[in-house]
Amino acid sequence: MGGETWLAWTFAIIMIALAVYCLARLLISWRQHRPSDHQVDALHVLMGVAMAGMLVPRLRVFYAGGWEVVFAIATAWFGWLAIREFRGERTVGGQPGHHLQHVVGSAAMLYMFAAAGSMKTASGSAISGMPAGGAAHFPTLALIFAFVLFGYVIWTTDRLTSLAPVAALARRAPVSAMVGAGAGAGTGGVAVADADQGQPSASEVAAARPGTPLSPSLAACREIAMGVTMGYMLILMR
Amino acid sequence: MTSQAADARSGPGRLQSIGAIYETDWSAPDLRRRLQLALAGIWLLDAVLQFQAFMFSRGFSQMLAGTGPGNPAVIADPISWAAKIIAQNGTVTNAIFAAIQLLIALGIAWRPTLRLALGASIIWSVGVWWFGEGLGGVLNGGGSPANGAPGAVIIYALLAVLLWPTVTRRPGPFAAAWSTGAGVARALWLVLWGSLAVMALLPATRAAKAFGGMVSGMASGQPGWLAAIDNHLGSFLTSNGPAMAVVLAVVLAAVAISVYLPPPPLARAGVVLAVLTAAFIWLGEGLGGILTGGGTDPNSGLLLALVAVAYWPVAARSAVAPGPASAAAAAQSDLAPAQSPSHRQGA
Repeated sequence: MGGETWLAWTFAIIMIALAVYCLARLLISWRQHRPSDHQVDALHVLMGVAMAGMLVPRLRVFYAGGWEVVFAIATAWFGWLAIREFRGERTVGGQPGHHLQHVVGSAAMLYMFAAAGSMKTASGSAISGMPAGGAAHFPTLALIFAFVLFGYVIWTTDRLTSLAPVAALARRAPVSAMVGAGAGAGTGGVAVADADQGQPSASEVAAARPGTPLSPSLAACREIAMGVTMGYMLILMR
Repeated sequence: MTSQAADARSGPGRLQSIGAIYETDWSAPDLRRRLQLALAGIWLLDAVLQFQAFMFSRGFSQMLAGTGPGNPAVIADPISWAAKIIAQNGTVTNAIFAAIQLLIALGIAWRPTLRLALGASIIWSVGVWWFGEGLGGVLNGGGSPANGAPGAVIIYALLAVLLWPTVTRRPGPFAAAWSTGAGVARALWLVLWGSLAVMALLPATRAAKAFGGMVSGMASGQPGWLAAIDNHLGSFLTSNGPAMAVVLAVVLAAVAISVYLPPPPLARAGVVLAVLTAAFIWLGEGLGGILTGGGTDPNSGLLLALVAVAYWPVAARSAVAPGPASAAAAAQSDLAPAQSPSHRQGA
């Protein structure tokens, strides 16, 4: 059963917007030396493009079979990072469980592409990867993936208020994190600047301190939007 | 208050520790908050199910209209009226329905809007219980524990009441008592499970082949393993329907009164029995049809299990002490802008 065409387009546009946003994060992080989780940003660029192509066939940009390889590699890579996290080894991203949701997301993408390849696609269906008549293999697995992703969406939303705003992060940006752009390069210190004096705006503070991480709240909102969209696609996979 | 913006060992443009971006005064979810999040997750599942193609078709409005017959005119007429409107404006109305449920889900999960979302969920649930479920078949005699009575959606409202965030936690031996008090919470449990026990003895369940027919009917369109379970269970219940209806009624009655049993281990045994019964009901309901493309929600079994978990006996010390996350969530839902001015700044 395919989804509504207008709904598929809506989700596809959101996915493209998120892919562009993640690409922008990568570029800004690179140009302004602002910390971000590059691997997750890159993964979401790929996921956004891939999901848009699944939702609306004319937005497909990759040859058949290519995405399966991409997400198989992503699943393995983030799985390796997750194992390292649980072993207590240091990884980009930090806390145990941080990468687990990306393992699930990558594996869900792999499942959707694999399942879509094994199903008869409805002619005229807006959702290219969605089954036309309930022919998906292991439909229960799709539901399990959806449940886990919804769990992560809710968990991430709950933690939104725990994420510090960029302005607060900028005021406490360690000088050691500022590299390039002439801002504290080579200082080597770990001094936490006292930016509470003068009360500059958030954007001014962030721009003045290249060590300021890119917005964690927006990154979390991206996870939420991607999780809901992926859950929607999985629910349609029967 | 925040911890360091970036870990001292972070290199240029690399975020080494995600923990560095967290507020330090944020409290981790306690038991009640986790139950609220589970409720939010089920609302999210509902919202996504509402986006399925079937819900935009005339089949959805026909399904709603089918809940009216047998009810008193004062109940049935508005159902017919609502079904006609939905039939005429299927896309718009269903998109609105799905969006509302999505907002409720995310609203419960986001602490500043917790109370608003829970309040909205109660209003929405009562409305859907009437216009979408015909009061769960309670008045027309068609309600059965095996078909979602007393209406899955009204259990969402019940959970919203039981899990309502309060800054000051009332003393109680389980999380469901922390907002309403133990007496009210126990009474609600008794009414819920007791009404299910009574419905198990009504003809809709107890009549020959009625119970088994309901369960077998859920097998259509399900994955192989679930269809097999429902078919086998349906066959067994068809052969032993009236007797099994009585057994189910006895079990449900035992669950109903278990809430008045003394603290562990008897009270815990009651909750375990409730969870197992809910699991049985959910399987009998075919998981609410969520794997068939026509399910609007996971039906009552999953929600009954969540209700049961909310009554799990906890240690007296933590029952009386103020819950950090629930209190924080309750406070944030009212006072977030005032207490956390940093949240208003651009992120």
